[in-house]
Amino acid sequence: MKITDEIRISDNGFVFNSKTGDSFNINPTGLELTKLIALDSDFDDIKEIFLEKYDLDDLTFENDFYEFCALLKHNQITVQEDPLDFK
Amino acid sequence: MSKLKITIAVTGLNNTDNPGPGVPVIRSLKESSVFDVRIIGLVYETLEPGIYMEGLCDKIFLIPYPSAGSDELIDRIEEIHNREPINVLIPNFDAELFSFMKNEERLLKIGIHTFLPTMQQFQERDKDKLAEYGLKYGIKVPTSINLGSQSQIHEIKEKMDYPVMVKGQFYDAYMANNAEQVKQAFNKISAKWGLPVIIQEFVKGTEVNVIALGDGLGNTISAVPMRKQYITDKGKAWGGITLSDHHMLEITRRLIRQTHWKGGMELELIKTPRGEFYLIEINPRIPAWVYLAVGAGQNIPEALVKLALGHEVTPMESYSSGKMFVRYSYDIIVDLEKFETIAMNGEI
Repeated sequence: MKITDEIRISDNGFVFNSKTGDSFNINPTGLELTKLIALDSDFDDIKEIFLEKYDLDDLTFENDFYEFCALLKHNQITVQEDPLDFK
Repeated sequence: MSKLKITIAVTGLNNTDNPGPGVPVIRSLKESSVFDVRIIGLVYETLEPGIYMEGLCDKIFLIPYPSAGSDELIDRIEEIHNREPINVLIPNFDAELFSFMKNEERLLKIGIHTFLPTMQQFQERDKDKLAEYGLKYGIKVPTSINLGSQSQIHEIKEKMDYPVMVKGQFYDAYMANNAEQVKQAFNKISAKWGLPVIIQEFVKGTEVNVIALGDGLGNTISAVPMRKQYITDKGKAWGGITLSDHHMLEITRRLIRQTHWKGGMELELIKTPRGEFYLIEINPRIPAWVYLAVGAGQNIPEALVKLALGHEVTPMESYSSGKMFVRYSYDIIVDLEKFETIAMNGEI
């Protein structure tokens, strides 16, 4: 899973897709997650960071993570050649 | 380096809710780094807002509608030229282009330069010939039917599903969900723009546009893609944003290379959710959102003037994506004398 070159992410959570002209607002947690994905972080590393920082369990994190990733993909913020690639 | 002083005549000062490109074209020319421009505004109506905008035109003349006859229009241009010598003329309406293209040589003989598409380029992209155009240049276009009369409306459901787009030859487009709505749109459009009325398959997706300039030799001098962000009930962009889409640029460059397009143009495309592009229209002139391209780094009117004067122009490759424009309306207070002068004397 990769954030496409056309995506610009501002520190305040404003995401702009310069290929489609779409823009989105993401909350601070979403921004944190998006930035980690942009850095090509491993799923396990992201999970570790989130579990340490927030009061949540494994299952909730995984559920929310995959849901968020699906949202990013749907809005063409990420591309995912292998549907099981969440790296 | 001192700027070259030239006089440019521009039409399309109707900055209404269906704006002509004249005002943004003038604004772009005034920002030229190479030309010091004197602007002659050419208007068809006494209430075109550009007439009353301070600091826009140095001189304004009323001209007759092309429907009054090409000769009458060109005679008037010659008459204006005798008093205020024009170096370059930039027509901005589809409906007047035919007259100016037809009289290109006559104008050049007296020293008025233009940079317009050839008659063949202009005619083959007519809306009623879009299917053949798509086939010839290998570009996807929606299925269409040209209606010469209401009796053909029943043919629509044999060729495509509703909803469909009902379009006039030059302007106007309505979406119709059934034959009855097609009939209503047909009557409105045929009364205003004549026949045929074009029925186009409705392609679901996002409307995106490209403004471009071809040098007539197959080179793309400028191309900037845009997505309308706010659309008026007339389908006009009231806000837009530049895009970074290589596919759109490639479609444009290929089309200009194949057709050797000369002059300004606007490609209207639909991008489907699957990422395919359908060409729905080619406007054979600079569009009203041209100033966005200037703001993004490509001064198309300036480049067009250079080409018209035979100057060498290097293709502009870069622009800023994510640049936006937002239109606004503004009330100008006008003294009656100004209106009276243009109405009575035909110039101001």
